[in-house]
Amino acid sequence: MVFNKFYFWFSPVLLGFFYTSFSSSVSNRWIDNEYSVPIVFQEKANLQQSINRGNDVYVDFCIQCHLANGKGDLINFPPLDGSDWLIKKRKLSIHSVKFGQNGLITVKGKKYNNIMPPLGLSNQEVADVMNYIMNSWSNKQKKMVTVEEVAAVNKL
Amino acid sequence: MYKICPLLVFFFLLNCTAQDKPELLPIADEVVNYKMEQVVTGISIPWGMVVLPDGTMLVTEKSGTLFHVNNGVKTEVKNIPKVYTRGQGGLLDIVLHPDYEKKGWIYLTFSSEDVSGEGGNTKLIRAKLINGSLTQIQDLYKGTPNTTGPNHFGSRIAFDNEGYLYFSIGERDKKFVNPQDIKIDGGKIYRLHDDGRIPDDNPFVGQVGVKEAIFSYGHRNPQGLVKHPVTGLIWSHEHGPQGGDEINIIKKGANYGWPVITYGINYDGKIISDITEKEGMEQPLHYWLPSIAPCGMAFVTSDRYPDWKGHLLVGAMKFQYLELLKIKDDKVVSRQKIATDIGRLRNVIQGSDGYIYIAVEQKGIFRIIPN
Repeated sequence: MVFNKFYFWFSPVLLGFFYTSFSSSVSNRWIDNEYSVPIVFQEKANLQQSINRGNDVYVDFCIQCHLANGKGDLINFPPLDGSDWLIKKRKLSIHSVKFGQNGLITVKGKKYNNIMPPLGLSNQEVADVMNYIMNSWSNKQKKMVTVEEVAAVNKL
Repeated sequence: MYKICPLLVFFFLLNCTAQDKPELLPIADEVVNYKMEQVVTGISIPWGMVVLPDGTMLVTEKSGTLFHVNNGVKTEVKNIPKVYTRGQGGLLDIVLHPDYEKKGWIYLTFSSEDVSGEGGNTKLIRAKLINGSLTQIQDLYKGTPNTTGPNHFGSRIAFDNEGYLYFSIGERDKKFVNPQDIKIDGGKIYRLHDDGRIPDDNPFVGQVGVKEAIFSYGHRNPQGLVKHPVTGLIWSHEHGPQGGDEINIIKKGANYGWPVITYGINYDGKIISDITEKEGMEQPLHYWLPSIAPCGMAFVTSDRYPDWKGHLLVGAMKFQYLELLKIKDDKVVSRQKIATDIGRLRNVIQGSDGYIYIAVEQKGIFRIIPN
């Protein structure tokens, strides 16, 4: 009886808990093998820390236009969730976050011709927000964006 | 028999209530009875602008350049103070002293790293333009503390008929700390003498520990500030979060309520406050739902635009048009689009030559010529 009551009241919390713990752990278990565990763990921890910092940057700089669900408004602001541009044009994506974006781009088959002003982020912040965007919503990008990778992108 | 968890029901209801929207005045499509004349090109984010008595213009570019524009040719003004450019920060507004021809003072706001602490905050200076260079620079006010928060610097400047200077500082990303506390800068509109002194009759003068320059508080991010041509009162507009951009008439010592009352919600869809009014807090004269991202504000007083005269122009940065709000007895009675799809509009002014000027990102400055 005690358990029944517990599950009854906390069912929404538990559902959420099962969903997040299950979905994030299952896929990784298949990829990791015994030999690479320590390195993979370290990389995974680094990526997770970067994503967490990137979340703060996203809330400060991106959320007004691209929205909390990463879907944009599909008129002036392209979606980040499921964006093919982000995957196909990795370097240009980093460039747009680092220096701003201006002009015609095509995202998920739709054209956007607008301006994203330069944000004034540090290279670390660019890397963090890229990692957040590339690993949020339905996005899963395994290759982490590093500060070195951002530093190597020069203004076009 | 099914049992439904009350918490689930509660969450469901919470979501339902967030959908309620009050009735709002619709915006009419425009009737094009003007043409656009390009004044200058090649300014990526024009923010503040002013027409000098000789017909030339001064235009701030957000990243930290001040352009002097003469017949479409722009020259960089020298000796601009160091600007902290991050997010919405940069070189911001510019206005002339009401008696510019005699006194020569130009007022500028920008985000600055001055004093101590990482990051920046809004600063107000005045200076004179001599031989293409800013000279006799005087620091008039600097918001504290510095923060690395990239948003909500304000910062428009306006003069009233008595010669008082008003300017705004946004709440610097700290909505639950700054706007309701008159001992801290941010989320305020300030009033100073033209030389930066604090007027003796400012509302909070003499109270211990307060920022005595404050004239009104409870603001989010005011980026429109103008004197009403008839009443002489200062009108302001400010960016809300998602929804809840506002127009307010600025009263001495008044609290405009952010974030205790608001018609907007957070960008993640969460409720900031479930109340829209409270005793002791001002109601807006007008609010926008959804947000238009209001930038720049001007009353039309010029005879060049008979149909617009006496009414208010506001730049809608988000939806990329200029909005004409017809005002009657301090109420908005109709809304109409102008310059549809022009681009991200950053500012609108009526120049001393009576023409309306608009500043558009990447495009530059346009003059509106009526047919």
